[in-house]
Amino acid sequence: MNRLGTLALFAALALLVAACEPFGDEDKENLKKDCGAAPTQMTSHPNLPGKFPDAKGIVYTSVKQDGPATVASGYLNLTIGPAHQAYSKAVKSASGYTVTKEEQDAADSEVNFEGNGKSGQVKMVQTCKGRTSVTITIRPA
Amino acid sequence: MQRLVPLLLALALLPACGGSKHAAGKPLLVVVNAPFSRTPYLGRTIENGVRLAVAEVNAGGGVRVAGQTYPLEVRALDSALSPAHAVVNVRRAVADGAVAIVDEGTGVNASWRFAAKRGVPIGIVFEGGSSLVDPKTRPNVFRIAPTDHGVAFRLAEYLIPQRLKVGILHDDSDYGSNGAAELTRAFADNRSSVAIDETVPADALDLGPQVLRARRAHATALLVWGRPATIASAITAARSAGWDVPVYTPPTGADPFVRQQLADHPSWVDGLTFASGRLTAEIGTGPYQNFAQRYQAAYGLDRVGVRTPSGEPVFQPPETAMYAYDFVNLLAAALVKAGSTDPAEVTRALEQVTVEGANGDERAFNEHNHEGVVDDDVYFARFEGMTYAPVRNDALSRTLPTLPQTG
Repeated sequence: MNRLGTLALFAALALLVAACEPFGDEDKENLKKDCGAAPTQMTSHPNLPGKFPDAKGIVYTSVKQDGPATVASGYLNLTIGPAHQAYSKAVKSASGYTVTKEEQDAADSEVNFEGNGKSGQVKMVQTCKGRTSVTITIRPA
Repeated sequence: MQRLVPLLLALALLPACGGSKHAAGKPLLVVVNAPFSRTPYLGRTIENGVRLAVAEVNAGGGVRVAGQTYPLEVRALDSALSPAHAVVNVRRAVADGAVAIVDEGTGVNASWRFAAKRGVPIGIVFEGGSSLVDPKTRPNVFRIAPTDHGVAFRLAEYLIPQRLKVGILHDDSDYGSNGAAELTRAFADNRSSVAIDETVPADALDLGPQVLRARRAHATALLVWGRPATIASAITAARSAGWDVPVYTPPTGADPFVRQQLADHPSWVDGLTFASGRLTAEIGTGPYQNFAQRYQAAYGLDRVGVRTPSGEPVFQPPETAMYAYDFVNLLAAALVKAGSTDPAEVTRALEQVTVEGANGDERAFNEHNHEGVVDDDVYFARFEGMTYAPVRNDALSRTLPTLPQTG
């Protein structure tokens, strides 16, 4: 196959693979979807490692240990933009913590952090019209 | 494709509106310091990533700094995986007036001081050792590559919940030692998950005794952290002894050398699982595929030299090239932001610019953080038939697509 043929093959493959985008049309559709029943709230408020802060309005649904990492799950009754701002502000105002990198797209966002001997990420995905799921991973820095 | 059309138009139009209005300055030197003679694939892919970014910057008229436009030029120097060679190369780059150094990472613990004297930024694109990057004490060192910390902790987070008894083998290279230090920390609170922890010689052809000790320690998985040759030797030792233990590795497990060494026994590669930085971003695979096409159109496919069971030739996706490419684009943005070609000014500006990376993700550094790849972007992929696919039993990995590797 000559170089032009190879390039054409790649273009075709690119279109094929792009059709499987994990955060493509389906996720944008979620932004318009009505929210169903909310996941069950934990019976007690968890104390996260390193005194990791809560964003205003966070509802925790589970906390588990994956080896050295603590993974807390929950949700905010907000769209992705305000949810991202809520966690960015909470981490920046928490004693000892800094935001190392943050990024917000149409339906998802990340706030990466470090402080108090811990590091990790708050991952947010807007799952329906007015709710954003939150997954916080905290590991030793 | 929608993204490709405006990009090609922009590239075509930029030269017409750029160079003629501004005086052309002397080319700005970007040095690539990589182990071309010892790990040829790694050296070549870093150099190609740099050259592709430089070609695109120059096709756009060069970098416009304070009323002048400057083309970028590339010079490649072989570190031969030797810290001493790497230091000599960095000293030479600084003496020759390099505006930046794109570095595989070997020897940076010593070489950064020589670059720092003139404020020359070093962009590490492979080695992940924690001590290499520190914005406070090494302000001129940046990295776009998965960190050993991220890879080690993600491996621990993946393996411990599976209740595996892990036999850790790490070689005595810088790469192996740095990884071992992070693995010790990652498994510190779960030592019962570690069956044995052994150091092996980096150049050993036969790791039979060490692998046998791991088997006798009742390991139910091997975690091999080392150069590609170490990984190939460990797999050979296990499989030739009839031990079908699952094998996990850092990014070096995906190096073509591993498959080339095991080409006579392709089934031995099946099941090999490695951790690495995700190649595609949340917005989808389009931007990465666009980059891969341009890379492969310029330099051809990085052929691994093996075939799938159905006979298709296998090529390597340009992962490390992508990191090198992104660093050069950040450098170009920093030159513009600094309004100066003084490397020290450029180093400071690197903390203030953001570019869209080759995979569509933002690439940026700041005063607190000189790392371009976050720990939570480390995913796992498993080999089957000489190509790999993201695993399905990890939250991040299962959202990622399998990228083309044959043709």
